[in-house]
Order: sequence, then structure tokens, then C-alpha cells
Amino acid sequence: MNLQDVNANVSRVPFFRFLDFEVQSLDDLHAEAEMTFDSRHIGNPVMEYYHGGIIASFMEATAAIAVHPGFGEVPAKPINLTVDYLRPAVKGPLYARANVTRKGRRIASVSVIAWQTAREKPVAEGLYHFLLV
Amino acid sequence: MPEIKQKKMEQIAQLWNARGKGLITHMALQIEEVSTEGVRVRMPFNPDFCVDRDQTLLHGGILTALLDSVFGLANFVAIEGVSTMATLDLRVDYLRPAHSRADVIVRAHCYRQTRHIAFDAGSICFDGHDDAEIARGTATFALTRGDTSLFEAMTQGKPS
Repeated sequence: MNLQDVNANVSRVPFFRFLDFEVQSLDDLHAEAEMTFDSRHIGNPVMEYYHGGIIASFMEATAAIAVHPGFGEVPAKPINLTVDYLRPAVKGPLYARANVTRKGRRIASVSVIAWQTAREKPVAEGLYHFLLV
Repeated sequence: MPEIKQKKMEQIAQLWNARGKGLITHMALQIEEVSTEGVRVRMPFNPDFCVDRDQTLLHGGILTALLDSVFGLANFVAIEGVSTMATLDLRVDYLRPAHSRADVIVRAHCYRQTRHIAFDAGSICFDGHDDAEIARGTATFALTRGDTSLFEAMTQGKPS
């Protein structure tokens, strides 16, 4: 599936527009995306840090695309998630990379990292499960 | 319901009103009940938070964001002398598709606090459907304690 079609898909989802991100690379087992900072993403208005829930949402969106980039009406169905917050995410672009660890017939496990300045300094790390049926 | 000091209630109201920008404002959260035993918060339906074209199915991420926010409030209410709190980790189970245009109700409480860490749990359902939980979550928070409260830092507009 080419990036243009995937991003056209993304732009049809209201909440994905709210997050405002673009898929930048994609193959069978991974997806990478970049999110643009907006004041509506702020969790701590004094420091202008991203809201933890926005980071988790962006990681979930990237994971869902890695699992099923060619989704029709709605993205892949999430079952649950665990996120570790490692550093504050400051004003500016945020990146996420989702790796599909296992994709079975019914369930997919996806691990995701989010970073800003360098991949080696992640702001968050997460594990997501999706139901494929 | 254990009583919350009037001063603290005023601080809570001010704190939330001070968040003139950001996600919490965008979610238009309304605090319905506050005590040291827990909090109840309402989020009105917002089509921006949906995944489908008909805009009737909420994205899981917004439920996660909602839990994280309301845990913060529960901590603020339950813990005396907290200066800052940072979410350490968060776990959320999506129990049902969030398919409705009803308001969302979140209940959350801090069930254990130590000097450095707070442990929280919470649950989400649609208004009027308490028997059909749509998500449940737990989180831990790293706390710093000190004279400068989060509230003071925010109202003075500088980091603590």
C-alpha cells in the first residue's frame, strides 16, 4: 500500500485529523509517523508539554496503521495498551515507530516508541494489542 | 463522602480554569463530584474524537487521555502537599466499542499513595449506562512534594 493512499485514509478519520499526523514510512511489519504540535495537544500549559493521553493516542494510531494500513471504515480494533512515559514531550514535532511483533489470525501485538530529538531518547514506549476479526 | 476543605475546592476550580489552553479545555471536562475517595468527571460528546465517518464511535486514545487527566485530578484531591506529578505508566483495557453520542462519565481514585508514587484506578462508561463499562485503566504517577504546589506554579505561570 502506498503512502499517499494511507495518508488519504488517515485524513478521513476525525480523531486522526485532531492529532494531525502523517505516515512517513510503511512496510509489512512497521509504520512510522510524524505528528505536528498544536496547542490542543498540551497537557501541562505552564511547560507546554504534550498531554500523556495525546502521546498514547498517537502511538495507538501508528500501531493501528502498522497492523492494518488499508483499513476501510475504521482503524484496527484496539484491545488494550500499556505505556511507559520516559521523558516529557516538549513543543515541537513528535515521531512514532510501530513494530508488529506478532500478527496472528485473530490478535496482533505491536510495540511502539515515540521520540523527538533522537530515537535513542524515547519519550514513551508502549505495547498495544489489536483484534483482527 | 469525606469533606474537602473549601480552600482546596477553590484551588481545584481555579486550577482547571487556569488551563485555558490544551487538551483538558478541548475535552470540556466538567467536574461532577470530588472527594478524597475519588472523583467523577463528565466529558460531553465531541465528534472530533470519533474514528468513523458517522461520528458515533470514539477513538480509544481519547478514553486513555481522559483517564490520564482524571487521575491527575484524583491525585490532586487525595494527596496533600504535592508539587508536581508525572505519569510513569498507564494501562488501559478497552472493554467495549465506545459507540454512542452520549456524554462520557469517568470515575477515578488514587488507591494508594507513598512519598514518591501514587497508584490510581479508573473506569469509563456512557452517561446512563453504568452497567456497560467501556474502558478501565490503572496508572502510576511519580510525585514531587514541596512548598510550591502545582496550583501555585500554574497560576504564577512558571515551572516549579
